[in-house]
Amino acid sequence: MPREAEPSANEKAFLLKALQDEQIRLDGREFDQYRPLELTFGDEYGVANVSLGKTKILAKASAEVTVPFADRPLDGIFTIATELSPMAAPHFEVNRPTETEVLLSRLLEKTVRRSGALDTESLCLVAGQKCWSVRVDVHVLSHDGNLTDAACFAVVAALRHFRKPDTSMENGVLTVYTPAEREPVPLGWLHSPFCVTWSFFGDEGETALLDADWMEEQVRVASVTISLNRHGEICQIAKLGGVPVEAVALLQCTSVALTKVKEFSTYLDGKLAEDAKRRDKGGFMAELRAENDRIVG
Amino acid sequence: MPLDTSAYSLALLRVDGRRWNELRRIHAQIRTQAAADGSSYLEMGHTKVMCVVNGPSEPGPRRGATSGGGSGGGQSKNAEVAVNIVIAGFSSVDRKRRGRGDKHILELQSTISQALAASLHTHLFPHSTINISLHVLSQDGSLLAALINAATLACVDAGIPMTDYVAACTAGSTSTYAANDEGADPLLDMNHQEEQELPGLTVATLGDSDRVAVLVCESRVQVSRLEGMLAVGVDGCKQVREILDRVVREKGIKMIQEGTVERGVGLNDMELD
Repeated sequence: MPREAEPSANEKAFLLKALQDEQIRLDGREFDQYRPLELTFGDEYGVANVSLGKTKILAKASAEVTVPFADRPLDGIFTIATELSPMAAPHFEVNRPTETEVLLSRLLEKTVRRSGALDTESLCLVAGQKCWSVRVDVHVLSHDGNLTDAACFAVVAALRHFRKPDTSMENGVLTVYTPAEREPVPLGWLHSPFCVTWSFFGDEGETALLDADWMEEQVRVASVTISLNRHGEICQIAKLGGVPVEAVALLQCTSVALTKVKEFSTYLDGKLAEDAKRRDKGGFMAELRAENDRIVG
Repeated sequence: MPLDTSAYSLALLRVDGRRWNELRRIHAQIRTQAAADGSSYLEMGHTKVMCVVNGPSEPGPRRGATSGGGSGGGQSKNAEVAVNIVIAGFSSVDRKRRGRGDKHILELQSTISQALAASLHTHLFPHSTINISLHVLSQDGSLLAALINAATLACVDAGIPMTDYVAACTAGSTSTYAANDEGADPLLDMNHQEEQELPGLTVATLGDSDRVAVLVCESRVQVSRLEGMLAVGVDGCKQVREILDRVVREKGIKMIQEGTVERGVGLNDMELD
């Protein structure tokens, strides 16, 4: 089993010294500053490409009609699949989940699925017989730290951008319409949770940084991931061990996280509106037009 | 019909008759398994867990001796804390089959391992492994907290040097996220029914301090509630620490009286009653 390459002792010492003595991060960011976050949507609905500095993540949402679980006949199925392939970093192997991958998928699960962001009841078509199964695949294309925040943002963006085929029920016959027949419909979306990860440094975890890159993640002594939505609801908090941190500091982290989540939320709303405008062909009348957009030579 | 948690506001009593700041009965024993280096048994209400610690020990000869790779203990400067959790099929009401790759269990294992690694002096045992194996016999809420407490006790019994106890407990809030009720009371030490119906979190602190080693919240809750819940949780951890400490001391006194161990130097003036 290949192991993750560790940074050298000199690199670690340099980073820590800069952080503790000079209060400077290696890339010159403020302690509570994210790397530039970029989101682009694909041509299809439900494809979100997120880059956070050098970390790049692709999330793709898809839906198909299946049979619901026997114990939940009125709910649709919603799964998030994370895959860390050797493309992201050489020590990831296919079909052998590392601890990073397990924790990432648990975090996404708790943040998006268990907080009820997607209304799974609206995915039910015929009780106990037919429902939509919505699946989001998260692919890490490049790993430079803070996968959680980037992956969570990508999942939420992909799901909010996604459109599933329209359906109708008439006399017990279920019809699923192609995009040509009827415009696809968005998912029943209730709130948008985002993850914010703090990393702690120092013997007692007294220095807290937002959005640690890979190098900082290797050196940190503890981390806490806080998931919130912009209404100020905590969806999940995970400080899974590590050096103990003052309780008061954690509360401060949460309140800063809330402002960051509001920024994410505004940014995503803006991007979605922009994309909707780009796709809008000018309404119903424009679509009914017989003329094509010809290139006039 | 069973009581539900919404009845709390009527008499300020919870479903099992506790007040908001009361812990359930905690009963703990250490040195329960003679063969292990350290062992403990802990009950928090009806949550019952057993813990066995083996190590720190150096790893035996590896299979297919192609050294160079290999995870954890072998090469590192610090001892690896390997945690293994077994949840018995009969531990909860519905018998759930859990595979080996169950993500929830893997998450619990990694949490406990990292929480203890920060308190244990792992740098004293390079190239070795501390094996902690936890068995859940009965579940009634606060599972992670019970597991952490049991693991701490077993590590004390195994005599592994550590900074202080890692004591854990849960805290909740009386109304659900939907009711934006400012007067919601925080609750200490949630049982299974409360965990199902109310938002809550698990806190583990190091010793007497306010420093939080583990904080896990898996339910939706208003951010304004966090402070109250955290304060009650941290306070509960201090109570739990006292209880764990008493268990260790009582066992120590008993062992001296029975002559199992020598009375240590400087302990002559200690009261043994």
